[in-house]
Amino acid sequence: MRARLACSIGAVLALAAPGLSAQVRPPITATDPQFDQASVARGSALFVGQCGFCHGSNARGGSSGPGLTRSALVQDDEAGKQLGELLRTGRPDKGMPAFQLAPDQVADIATFLHAAIFLNANRRLYQVLDIVTGDPKAGEAYFSGAGKCATCHSPTGDLKGVGAKYDAVTLQGRVLMPRGGRGAGPPQPAYLDKNAIRASITLPSRQTISGVLVRLTDFDITLYDPQTGQIRSWFRNGDAPKIEIADPLQAHLDRLPTWTDDDMHNMTAYLAGLK
Amino acid sequence: MSTRGLMRIVGVVALLAPAALVAQQGAALDPTTLLKAPTDSWPTYHGDYSGRRFSPLTQINADNVKNLQLAWVYRLNTSQAFAQIGGEGPDVPPAAANGFGPPTIKSTPLMVNGTLYFSAPDHVWAVDARTGREIWHYFWKTRGGIHIGNRGVGMYGNWIYFLTPDNYFVSLDAMTGKERWHHEIANVKREYFSTSAPIIVGKQVLIGVGGDSLDVPGYLESRDPESGQVVWRWYTTPRPGQPGAESWPTADAMVNGGGMPWLPGTYDPELNLYYIGTGNPQPVLAGKSRAGDNLWTCSIVALNPDTGKLVWYYQVSPHDTHDWDAAQTPVLIDGVIDGKPRKLLAQANRNGHFFLLDRASGKHVLTTTHIDSVNWTKGLNANGQPIPNPAKEASIPGTLVSPDTSGATNWPPPSFSPDTGLFYVGVTQSFSVFYLTDTNENQEGWAAAERNVGSLGRYLKAIDYKTGKVRWSRPLATNAGGAGGAPMGLLSTAGKLLFGNDGGGNFVAYDPATGKPLWHAGLGVNSSNGPETYLLDGRQYVVVGAGDTLYAFTLPR
Repeated sequence: MRARLACSIGAVLALAAPGLSAQVRPPITATDPQFDQASVARGSALFVGQCGFCHGSNARGGSSGPGLTRSALVQDDEAGKQLGELLRTGRPDKGMPAFQLAPDQVADIATFLHAAIFLNANRRLYQVLDIVTGDPKAGEAYFSGAGKCATCHSPTGDLKGVGAKYDAVTLQGRVLMPRGGRGAGPPQPAYLDKNAIRASITLPSRQTISGVLVRLTDFDITLYDPQTGQIRSWFRNGDAPKIEIADPLQAHLDRLPTWTDDDMHNMTAYLAGLK
Repeated sequence: MSTRGLMRIVGVVALLAPAALVAQQGAALDPTTLLKAPTDSWPTYHGDYSGRRFSPLTQINADNVKNLQLAWVYRLNTSQAFAQIGGEGPDVPPAAANGFGPPTIKSTPLMVNGTLYFSAPDHVWAVDARTGREIWHYFWKTRGGIHIGNRGVGMYGNWIYFLTPDNYFVSLDAMTGKERWHHEIANVKREYFSTSAPIIVGKQVLIGVGGDSLDVPGYLESRDPESGQVVWRWYTTPRPGQPGAESWPTADAMVNGGGMPWLPGTYDPELNLYYIGTGNPQPVLAGKSRAGDNLWTCSIVALNPDTGKLVWYYQVSPHDTHDWDAAQTPVLIDGVIDGKPRKLLAQANRNGHFFLLDRASGKHVLTTTHIDSVNWTKGLNANGQPIPNPAKEASIPGTLVSPDTSGATNWPPPSFSPDTGLFYVGVTQSFSVFYLTDTNENQEGWAAAERNVGSLGRYLKAIDYKTGKVRWSRPLATNAGGAGGAPMGLLSTAGKLLFGNDGGGNFVAYDPATGKPLWHAGLGVNSSNGPETYLLDGRQYVVVGAGDTLYAFTLPR
């Protein structure tokens, strides 16, 4: 367990269920300041000890009690108010005893539950697990064989060190479609992507103009000239101007529907090893 | 019109007159108007109950559309100055309300007696349909909820109805925008958020809740148009002991199983059936804790609007694990199959399939795919339902699936033209990798993450309803990063026109028989709602929203 996770709910859940390290959840980040992490940790420890036997140590249901992260009462609770009232009396009809807890203990348990609900509800915080499970040798064979990747790429050339350049999820995504996505720095227009679609047009005067395609509609075409930085457009009238489109990623587009999941995992394992 | 239908109308008229109908010229909408598919108004979300978004108007037509010109522009005014203000939230909106930037017009305006009524999250506007000038603006102080969009308002008599992202059902005076009352319909703290447009059927206001961040119950309600109180509530999954419960492993999974009725439905007055599509089951992207078909999620359902009782259902995505709800418009088609007149219902679904059903019985007629890239099924079963391939559920190392969670198409309303027999829809052949992130036995929320890896193409397609086959397909605009646009609001007319966009920021009138563009306006951004048309003072208008601006077009005088 890495130290930086020590305060997170995920770490606590994983500790509570040894052998299931796959369920480690992301730490609550600085952008989600409403949860006092120390309170979450205290609440988690209290919950595991006091409530976990019936409701499960992760509050998703246990031997005799329902899951609490789905509970309407818990979701609607305000900082332990409704939860505290319930804990004071218990639910004798359903076999739940009353609990004598100090107000700050109730608040800690409530914070733990609300933080767990928050992590369930905010999928942008979901952490993809270890995805490098494929066979790198099979990936290498696909690279130079059926995948025809070696037609354009080389593990000692353009892909040298690619496994160190990207995290595995980004790498797998770029194997499939190496265009778009967020690079370092501020977002930029799609026509500045090095893999942007190219176009050349031939005017009725037979002049030919080439550039990066900004937009092609039924009515006009707009090109970006990387040399001058100029953006220009032309109306379309029937077959004029003559337009040729070249997508540098055509091979990736053609390959996209043919990937098996195994081929994809093997390729990622192979490329992830090119450190 | 059946006797029962006539009885209903008579009943409604008797109830409304004289207070609402006679007194309020200039604002009031007689609900029986909704049964007549009027051309001089647009009185409900789809223009009429059928969901066809087809107009018999021909003043603007294929011969003269080249002359179509701008009548006026209305840019959304979101200022609180001069607005009618309501709501339960704080003066400074909570952070949750700011995640989607400035409001976009996704709502289809109602047009009644010369006034347009439309909405965006937390806002309703009334705009003069002759001049494009604002008449009133209502602003709702929100408590939160996801502000992704609002489909529009409903109207009954002199009253406007809409839903808010923090789940209030609000009624306004159509003449002034003054609030009449509001009622909470779902708890924003449970991550419900409401987007749908209320639909009025007789003396019922039909509203559905939304929200899929947590595992919460989905339901559709009928509310009384005067008091706003619940008449009935229909849960989109069975309660314990009900038929359909066998499609869930536990009562807990079932009653928390989602199935949000995100969008407005359609209605057949003769059959007295209200049709609506339900949303995805919960947890969204993982099915381990909900083995089974998970009825009635991802289903087209027919309800009796008087009682809220389920009459039939057809599940288009059994045991969905890719967020493909069935909320897309169930379009009512009166057609002919094998030489016999049939009452049909068609849907181009987010899961990449086109379905045609008998809308009286719910019996399956045909299923086809409307994109070529679908890779998640093991074919169709005897009832025409796609059989999900378990190997295409989210996995830890990733599963490549087409279409992505946004789907081959989505909420923007399609169109069906009885003149061409074609069903028009914007589609994309998108791919995503689905990563399982939650390996607990009891998964919750989404339980998996998605990474989009592009699209093989985006198209405007015309589907022959009798065969389900694509008659024509037109690629949308190409940008530096690939094709743009795709799901889009559409409108067809008897003037041999199909209005939509081109994915490249142009609003276009296409030839509905071939897909050839006949006219366009360079709005700069793609149209963002369903276009509409109506006669006002004897002139036909076409009105469309694109981003934060509403545009009206008409022919020169």
